Amino acid sequence: MNTVLALWIRGLKAFIRNKTGLIFSLIFPFFFVYVFGAIFKNDFIENPIAYMLSGVIITTVFESSLNLASSTVDDMVSGFMKEVLVSPAKRIAVAMGQILSAATVSTLQGILILVIGLFIGIKFTHWTTPLYILISMISIGIVFSGVGLFMATKVRNGQTFQIVKTAVTMPLTFLSGAYIPLSMLPGTLRYVAYINPMTYATAFFRMIVLEKTNLSAVELVKEGLAIDINGFIVTPVMSFALILIIGLVFLLLSTISFVKTDFSRLNRSATDANALWG
Amino acid sequence: MTPIIEVKNFTKRYGDFTAVNDISFSVEEGTIFAFLGPNGAGKSTTINTLCTIFEKTSGTLFIDGKDVTDQKSEVRAAIGVVFQDSTLDAKMTIEENLKMHCVFYHIPKKEVEERIQFVLKLVDLLGERKKPVGALSGGMKRRVEIARGLIHYPKVLFLDEPTTGLDPQTRAHIWEYIIKLQKERNITIFLTTHYMEEAEICNKIAIIDGGTIVAHDTPYALKKMYTKDKAYIATKDETKLEQLLVQYDLEYVKKDGYYKVEAENLDRLLQVLSIHKEDITNIEIRKGTFNDVFLEITGKKIREED
Repeated sequence: MNTVLALWIRGLKAFIRNKTGLIFSLIFPFFFVYVFGAIFKNDFIENPIAYMLSGVIITTVFESSLNLASSTVDDMVSGFMKEVLVSPAKRIAVAMGQILSAATVSTLQGILILVIGLFIGIKFTHWTTPLYILISMISIGIVFSGVGLFMATKVRNGQTFQIVKTAVTMPLTFLSGAYIPLSMLPGTLRYVAYINPMTYATAFFRMIVLEKTNLSAVELVKEGLAIDINGFIVTPVMSFALILIIGLVFLLLSTISFVKTDFSRLNRSATDANALWG
Repeated sequence: MTPIIEVKNFTKRYGDFTAVNDISFSVEEGTIFAFLGPNGAGKSTTINTLCTIFEKTSGTLFIDGKDVTDQKSEVRAAIGVVFQDSTLDAKMTIEENLKMHCVFYHIPKKEVEERIQFVLKLVDLLGERKKPVGALSGGMKRRVEIARGLIHYPKVLFLDEPTTGLDPQTRAHIWEYIIKLQKERNITIFLTTHYMEEAEICNKIAIIDGGTIVAHDTPYALKKMYTKDKAYIATKDETKLEQLLVQYDLEYVKKDGYYKVEAENLDRLLQVLSIHKEDITNIEIRKGTFNDVFLEITGKKIREED
């Protein structure tokens, strides 16, 4: 338990100390809100700023938690993972610590955007809403931290990893309905969106932020908060269940993979960081 | 007395390539043991297997009576490791690195502060404890790593090339710490190096080449066995000296104006010198070095640039 706590604190410290990273992580979301909010102003969305913000918040949580992959790879390259792995600390505790710290950092980033959002257009009428928001951010943070850690254990080449990561996160973000409403996507891309877990996370989260929990399924589809796959309506509740299932699978996979990963391949030379993954 | 490290018939293969081939050795508690060899000889493979990072292919490896393969946690708790490359957390301070290490090694909370003071004092870094590791010099980082490797009071400290890439002064300091440790705390130190002069400080040396141990003894015994003192003679009359050397059956090599003669047949050499003394312009006796030992045993110099 101590190991989990120590790694959790380490992750938080790194987040707080990286001031530049923090500022940029706030600039980008508002840039997106401004740009996409202006482009996709349409009649059936009553509060475009809140609509965009909710998407941006959840995307930030998603990207930030997936970043655990990068920071774990950094820990391997810097050698810190090696220090952890020759110690008697339990690997499963190390995995848990990493996931929890990433989930916490991503939730904190989400909260920061949310707080700024409160001044520019988000309004809550129920006191329970912030609570639900917090719970969903934490859950989605944990789910994608698990995915991130799983990616990190599969990495063999530090440089291709960065490219693969961008190639995976970009489409998942843009085809999730967070920035661009699904109804505006061409047919083929819409099918890609249907198999994108982020689509469901976004729909569910947006419903909570916009406080539309009382709407009927048909109304939800109309507002882009439920997904209609050829007549089959995935309600936000189903979406959340789906995310949790994906999360559980990846938590299990990443933990097993992290415990089992043969770090004997980690052979680093000071001059050639690439040799580590070769 | 049972040895603290015991390796029997250890072999490690990567596919078709045999990195370490059937080696056996043991290390007595409280001694400094050096693994010597050129790059790619199998030094790091052996040290990494002893540290529970690599899996062996066959053989048995025991540290403090615990099996390196089956009792990983126990072995890990009993050893401290300083790798060739830094494994510090560059974003954190020295103190934070040490504290994190204490958590991993389950050190009781109330002892942590005392231990941090002890190890930092040992490596003269008590004043820098709040500094971020990323801002330290290479030598300071190495000292932090040594301090960290000791904070859980290991029985064996592994040092993989602890002084590579450091300037001579820092290297000397690192060695001071190592010797102090061995004397004061009776820690067994297992190190690899390719600096010959460092090997001479150790109690026992194993020379490894091409995955096998080619020599294993005290530095004194190895030197006695494999090196000879040499006389370097410069003369005004080269033909005369060459004649004399042939006459007294002394083998010589001429290089850079000097005649290099092995000093093992001292009587005959002295006779030559006394006959020839009028013409000698310079004479120098050189003791055998560890480089000679290495050259003699493996047929190659340990580093190409030497």
